[in-house]
Amino acid sequence: MPTLDIEKIKKEVVDSQLWRSVFRGGVWKDTPRDRAGHIIGNVWLHLHPVKVRPRALEWLYTWGMGGISFALYLILTLTGVALMFYYRPTIGLAYRDIKDLEFAVTLGMFLRNAHRWAAQAMVVAVIAHMVRVFLTGAYKKPREFNWGIGVLLLTLTLFLSFTGYLLPWDQLAIWAVTVGTNMAGATPVLGNEGPLGSLVGMRINNDVRFTLLGGTMVGENTLLRFYVMHCVAVPLVVGILLILHFWRIRKDSFSAAPYVANEEKVDVWPHLVKREYIAAAATVLFIMVWSILQNAPLEAIANPNVTTNPSKAPWYFVGLQELLVYFDPWIAGVVMPGLIIVGLIAIPYIDTNPKGVGYYAWKERPFANTLFMLGVFMWFALIYIGYALRGPNYAWYWPWEDWLMPKAAPPPTWSVFGPHGVAAYSMLLGIPLMGAVAAAWMLLPKLIQKELDGKKTMGAFLGAVALVAAVGMALGKMGPIEGAFLLFFTGASFYYGFVLPQRHIRALDWPRYLVTMVLVISTMSVLLKMCARLAFNIKYVLTIPSISMNF
Amino acid sequence: MSETNPNPAPDSTPKAPAAPVAAAPAKPAAPAKPISRGDFLWAGWSMLAAFFAASAAAGARFMFPNVIYEPSQKFNAGQASGYDLGVSTKWLNEQRVWIVRTPSGFYAMWARCTHLGCTPNWWGDQNRFKCPCHGSNYTLDGDVIAGPAPMPLWRTKVELAPTGDLIVDKAVLENKPGKREHAPYFANYASA
Ligand code: HEM
Ligand code: FES
Repeated sequence: MPTLDIEKIKKEVVDSQLWRSVFRGGVWKDTPRDRAGHIIGNVWLHLHPVKVRPRALEWLYTWGMGGISFALYLILTLTGVALMFYYRPTIGLAYRDIKDLEFAVTLGMFLRNAHRWAAQAMVVAVIAHMVRVFLTGAYKKPREFNWGIGVLLLTLTLFLSFTGYLLPWDQLAIWAVTVGTNMAGATPVLGNEGPLGSLVGMRINNDVRFTLLGGTMVGENTLLRFYVMHCVAVPLVVGILLILHFWRIRKDSFSAAPYVANEEKVDVWPHLVKREYIAAAATVLFIMVWSILQNAPLEAIANPNVTTNPSKAPWYFVGLQELLVYFDPWIAGVVMPGLIIVGLIAIPYIDTNPKGVGYYAWKERPFANTLFMLGVFMWFALIYIGYALRGPNYAWYWPWEDWLMPKAAPPPTWSVFGPHGVAAYSMLLGIPLMGAVAAAWMLLPKLIQKELDGKKTMGAFLGAVALVAAVGMALGKMGPIEGAFLLFFTGASFYYGFVLPQRHIRALDWPRYLVTMVLVISTMSVLLKMCARLAFNIKYVLTIPSISMNF
Repeated sequence: MSETNPNPAPDSTPKAPAAPVAAAPAKPAAPAKPISRGDFLWAGWSMLAAFFAASAAAGARFMFPNVIYEPSQKFNAGQASGYDLGVSTKWLNEQRVWIVRTPSGFYAMWARCTHLGCTPNWWGDQNRFKCPCHGSNYTLDGDVIAGPAPMPLWRTKVELAPTGDLIVDKAVLENKPGKREHAPYFANYASA
């Protein structure tokens, strides 16, 4: 029997007319020229440069998270198209089709799981990617624009999740989307329940919520609209933005860290491409195993009249859901997300610190890193509270408390300025007073020219707050838990919102300084409002019901 | 421009076709001042911009449906005499309405949390409605006592038909104290 000569077969295959017609280039000799040709001559690979700096290959530098996000996007496209073959977006059929996918279609359950888990993994990967880009200062000149595209990609990733969430038409779906779209109804001016909305003639059947839903309630039109957005419109926009994103990575060149002596660029083929394939293969494997081990949730069929108790958003929106406990919908659902998106896009233009590009630099960028990570941390802390500490009736349950244990009715809330508030004149008294406090907070860190001693300032502040708490307790107006909350939340806001800006950004020019302070103070207002509600049951600091304006 | 019509209508009424013909050979008309290149481009680009703006407006308008197929907001809640004093959740599942019977009559509340539209649950032992989405609490009257909801629950129009049936109309709503306790948001019904 003749032995199998693998080398000979390989040569014959590669030299065949068929092979040569598919893959361009002559005989492969693995010269630098061949490697370059392989990148340039291949339509899929040519978005890469031919050579990159060695740092682009380091897992510990990029965490591979951009590439993994893209791999997940591809997995989602494939599994999503597969699901479309069995799914019909109408109220009568959607839920049944999902059930069929689970129990009657070969591999249906697996594909549905894979689509669901890949979507959640993509949210995590995109956030992780953003964090690494931030921490390595990779958004600084000339990459500001690409960072902005990235922020839009993050927003659209979340929006894809949101639109997809409705499609199974179960109880989880309909209530998450009811709450989410009602926030659109609370948009200032454009929503029928938002501030000033009714003044300009917004009604339930002509505002932004109405266009989003295609009706006055989450119904047949809504399902169809979300289906079209989820399967066609948004993926298309994401695809276009991804092309832009990749193009700019290449044009702006990858992360300009200071050059190391004798640094030599490495060939993208095979070094970078190999790593990309490994990351993609690992991602596919991970999603497959996860999809075999765990099934995607599906609750009872949607009932537009009765809500499950408790009703929770998908985990990545639970932070927002928790925020809605403290703030009016137009603030928590419209202004804050808007500020976060605009604020993130603005970061490269207000951060003038030239240091820390292309490496992790805690010492050289203390202010930027601390506040950014504080924001990320707060987001996940809110998710934790909403996810783990909220039980039936959305009441607060500690981890050691049983959800079956009935909770005492929550104590009544009160407002500071407003018709039923402690002081009635919200317009005459409340607005000027709050405005004065906000203005002082905005300006003081920069107006105090000399750097304050952090320890002494903090000490004085905490001392004053402790005094207030002690007096409150002595008068019997405040318990120890309220006192601790007060100290913790005001102390944190004072440190991150005043001491740090005073130390690090008072030398910034006025426009940049003011924009930064708006973002910083908005972040701190979350802490302060949580304090007001959790410790003192304050509902609004200021309320003007006639125009639905509540803070 | 100075040509005559090569195919004049055979029975055209008397006109003065001679005038342009006569003028033509005399002297070429002085050319009107042509539009400048800059103005021409301005006009062109403006028209393009206007076209895009109009398309965007039309696209936005397209997203507002003119006809929507949603269920009727009016329903018959059955014989008034069939209700006991207090909150009835009989119609919650089908119509999202609580029927409340007081010693002097009936009112009906739309079971939609005024915060972001979840359906609260009635807790008889604590005498309040509690919302499962962000924890708003309401009294039996519909007033907010805890949580983020900005205003009281909506009461719906309710009428007692001559047949003794309660007719509830969710399209007509009121939640202001002082108004919501009177017709048409309250149906008098003397207790038997
Ligand atoms: C759909 C989501 C996204 C995908 C698929 C994606 C993909 C990628 C890939 C493959 C890279 C190459 C380097 C790496 O892996 O780290 C990259 C770089 C980059 N990404 Fe993204 N990205 C996404 C979202 C974002 C977001 C949310 C941001 C920031 C807000 C962002 C900002 C950047 C920047 C500034 C670079 C250049 C980094 C450098 O030069 O070091 N991207 N992205
Ligand atoms: S929807 Fe009822 S509390 Fe938010």
